[in-house]
Amino acid sequence: MTETELTEINPAVPARNVLEALHAVIDPELGLDIVSLGMVYAVAVVDSQVAIEMTLTTPGCPLHGSIEADVRHCLGQVPGVGDIGVELVWDPPWTPDSMSAEAKRSLGFY
Amino acid sequence: MPRLGADGAPPVLPIASLLLGALALALVGLLVLLSPAAFAGYLGLPRVVAINHVFTLTFVGLVFAGTLQQLPAVMFVTKLAWPRLGWLTLPLLAVGSVAVVIGFFRGFSAPWLAFGAAATSLAWVALVVQLARTAAQRWPKDPGSHALLLSALFLALAVILGFTLASARTTPSVAAQVGYPVQLHFTVGLFGAFLLGIIGSGQKLLSMFALSKGGPQWRVRYATYAVTAAILLEALATFARLPLITASHVLLAIACALQAWEVLNILRRRLRKRLELPIQRYVLAHAFLPLAGVALLFGEGGAAMILFLLGFVGLAVSGMLVKILSFLTWTWQFAGASTGGVSGGAPLLRDLVKDELEPIITWGLVLAAAALAAATIWSSALLAVVAGAATLLAGVALTAQASHVVGVTVRSRRRLAAAAAAAQATKTLEEARA
Repeated sequence: MTETELTEINPAVPARNVLEALHAVIDPELGLDIVSLGMVYAVAVVDSQVAIEMTLTTPGCPLHGSIEADVRHCLGQVPGVGDIGVELVWDPPWTPDSMSAEAKRSLGFY
Repeated sequence: MPRLGADGAPPVLPIASLLLGALALALVGLLVLLSPAAFAGYLGLPRVVAINHVFTLTFVGLVFAGTLQQLPAVMFVTKLAWPRLGWLTLPLLAVGSVAVVIGFFRGFSAPWLAFGAAATSLAWVALVVQLARTAAQRWPKDPGSHALLLSALFLALAVILGFTLASARTTPSVAAQVGYPVQLHFTVGLFGAFLLGIIGSGQKLLSMFALSKGGPQWRVRYATYAVTAAILLEALATFARLPLITASHVLLAIACALQAWEVLNILRRRLRKRLELPIQRYVLAHAFLPLAGVALLFGEGGAAMILFLLGFVGLAVSGMLVKILSFLTWTWQFAGASTGGVSGGAPLLRDLVKDELEPIITWGLVLAAAALAAATIWSSALLAVVAGAATLLAGVALTAQASHVVGVTVRSRRRLAAAAAAAQATKTLEEARA
């Protein structure tokens, strides 16, 4: 499973709390949250600014706009979070191995 | 990094195109039901040719054209070039297709066929130019994208060949120049356009929906080469009178086998074991490829064409229609929505599909393809009635499914927007009281 890199500099909110909040962002196609799917590569919190580095299952995924908007929507409700930056990256590419065991199980992997 | 898949045409265009396509399948069923005797006899009758073109030009053509307004942006990871061109091409295609069908129904009426063929040719050439311009922004390297590009080119060529056929019927000088290349028209349309289109888009979409990543793609590449070479050989056989038809057919059989093998390979590597029902239908479609081949080997060309079109193409296209429409309407309504996506109450994509309708579509088409092929082999009007009823049932279920997908999504968005507005009003009221 993907290990999310957490970085904090004088954080207004712990990076772990930000990552926890991202569990509410659900991939509309797979029906699982983006953290369990292993799409969140890094969370950085500097003061109240939050930067998310994440990927999607497929480059060109038509859901990118809505997932990105959902990330902003969820983090916007976390007390202490100010500016939110979301960067989509394709390196390393997402693979099903990035998922948590529970996510794999719910997709019928086992 | 370019903006990704949402950079297609205004969503209402492909959505309308896909809805009309679904409706056209129901129309095919109704027309077969009204003309069963035609399918029990000579398949070159104007009525049969007309019904065939409702299926190929209107059902498959509109679904393919609508998909081309969105899928290239996803496959090539770039923006669709001239996104508003669809306002011209899709209505032109719809009107032209209807004119062609009327032209055949009226006994190869030259004015209707000339207008319809000119309109559809123009629309498809414009769509191909748009697709090429889109690809030129970020030239794709994967064989699936190459297959998709070629399929659109071959579909335009098939339509232009149809225009030539219509002209040859009425203009002796055209007939003298090109003859009557109807076999080439079939091959370019069925294999160049439909098979390659399904190979190209299916390779990407099936991998995506089944979570099957990173496998070799050589089968897709060689299938594309085989289809292209087969069409070239058939063109030489048609225009240069060279004895290359058998070689062309062998190459087409190889391409079909490679596609079936590729689908099996994607499924073998998949990590999502439970495939959704529309995807199961897409996979099942490939069972009709060997059946069509067997029919052809036994000299039943008409039955082979029906098994290929109604069975393979019908199942594959209707399966992808439901999945693509779900994506299109969901992103149309919820991309960038201030309420958030699923976390804000938006439905999951799988919740947009009414599962009860899926077996009706799938098994209706399976029964229709088998019954209509049998009707042509045994000259049975009764079997044609069964085929017509089954196609009508499948077409109505597909139209209902497509309408359900759009309706559920739009209603969900409105409900969320109303709830958000109410919450905002309550908050404003509370602030005013405070």
